[in-house]
Amino acid sequence: MASQTRNSAKYVYGVVRARGSSPGMVHGINHEPVALVKSEGLAALTSDVPDELLEAGRDELLTHTRVLEKALEGGTVLPMRFGVVMPHDQAVRDELLARYHSELEAQLDEMEGKVEINIKGIYDEDAILREVLAQDPEIAGLKQAIQGKPEDATYYERIRLGELIGEALSLKRGEDERAIVDRLLPSVVAVEVGEAVHERMAVNASFLVNRDRLEQFDKEVDSLGEHQAGRIRFKYAGPLPPHSFVELGIEA
Amino acid sequence: MATAMQSRSGSMPYRGGSGYVARSSSSGLYDVLELILDKGLVIDVFVRVSLIGIEILTIDARIVIASVDTYLRFAEAVNRLDLMATETQGLPELMEGITEGGASSKTKGVLQGAKEALFGDEDESGEEQKEPARRRTRSSSGTTRRRRRTTGGNSSGSRSGGRS
Repeated sequence: MASQTRNSAKYVYGVVRARGSSPGMVHGINHEPVALVKSEGLAALTSDVPDELLEAGRDELLTHTRVLEKALEGGTVLPMRFGVVMPHDQAVRDELLARYHSELEAQLDEMEGKVEINIKGIYDEDAILREVLAQDPEIAGLKQAIQGKPEDATYYERIRLGELIGEALSLKRGEDERAIVDRLLPSVVAVEVGEAVHERMAVNASFLVNRDRLEQFDKEVDSLGEHQAGRIRFKYAGPLPPHSFVELGIEA
Repeated sequence: MATAMQSRSGSMPYRGGSGYVARSSSSGLYDVLELILDKGLVIDVFVRVSLIGIEILTIDARIVIASVDTYLRFAEAVNRLDLMATETQGLPELMEGITEGGASSKTKGVLQGAKEALFGDEDESGEEQKEPARRRTRSSSGTTRRRRRTTGGNSSGSRSGGRS
C-alpha cells in the first residue's frame, strides 16, 4: 500500500475460489504481499508491480511457482502463465474474472482435488547408444568402417553415422514414450505429452492426477524407475498446480 | 491384487523409497521452467514481461535436436564407447568431457546448458553435473558455459591436487 504510486500495476499468479481467506504470509515478486482481487465468487492472486515492462529472471520465476505452490496447499488453483501483468484491480476483475467467469468456474470444478505431475525420462547415453549399436547392423557397420581413420577424412561418414543414430533414437523415444505413458495412464485423469526438449530425453509428459490416486501413481513411477534403472533416469516434479490442463478460450 | 499394504490415511504422501526417481516440488525451478513459461492461463494482451535470456535459450535447445552438430556428437559418443570399455589411456583429446568424478561420461543436454547459463553454477536438482560435450557460443558472452572441474589435458584422470 505504501508504494501505491509507483507500484500501480498488478502481477497475476492464478485464480482461486473467493471463499477462502487471503493466502497468508506469502510474498510475491519484489517482496510485495500477495492479495486477492475478488469478483463474483472468484479471486485472483495478485501483487503490486511497477507499471512498466517487468524484467524477470530466476527470482521472479521462482516466486511465481512458490506463490502457486502455497495456494495449492489451500485448495484448487488455476495457474496463470508466467508474466501476466494487468494495469489495476479493476482490470483484473473486468478482463479476467468477469470476462471468463464461466470458464474459470468450470475449470475450478474440473481441477478440484487434482494436481499436475511432470515426469521426464532421460536416457543414459552410453546405455542407449550400446542398445542402438547392438540392434542396428547398419550403424554398427558404419561405426566399424570409420574406426581408426582420421576425423577429417571421415567427416561425411560421421555425419551419416550420427544421423542414423538420431533416427534410431527417435524411434526408441517413440516406443519408450508410448510404453511409459500407457503404464501410467490407468492412475491418471489426463495426460499432456510434451516434446522432448533435448536429445537424450525419452519422455516429457505431464499427468493430471487425483490426489487420492497419487499414492498409486507414485508407486507406478517408482516401479518404472526401477525397471528402467541404468537406461532411463526419471525426474518427478510435483505436485504442481495444473499448468498443462487449463486454458482460456478465445470466445468471450 | 496386493493392496493390503497401501495406506489410505493420506497423512504422509508416498514418496517412494526406491531411490530410482529424482523428485522435486515446484520450487525446483529446473524441471518446471517450460511449464510456467508455456502453460497456464494467459491473456496475451496482458503479457508484459521481458525474460532475461530465457526464451532464446529454450528455442535454441529445441532446434538443435536435429543438427549436424548433434550428429557429429552422436558419432563421437558412439566411438567413445569402446574407449570406455577398454579403458584406453593417453588420449587426452578424446577424454575431454569426462568429469573429475570419473564415473560418468554422459554429456550434458543442451537445455541443461541453457539452464546453467540462466542459473549459474547453482544446481537446482542436485544432478546434471556433467561436462558439456561441446561448447556453444551464444549471443551474449555471459551465457557460454564454462567448464568445471575437468581433468587436466596433460595427464588424463589425475585429480587436481592443490586444495588448501
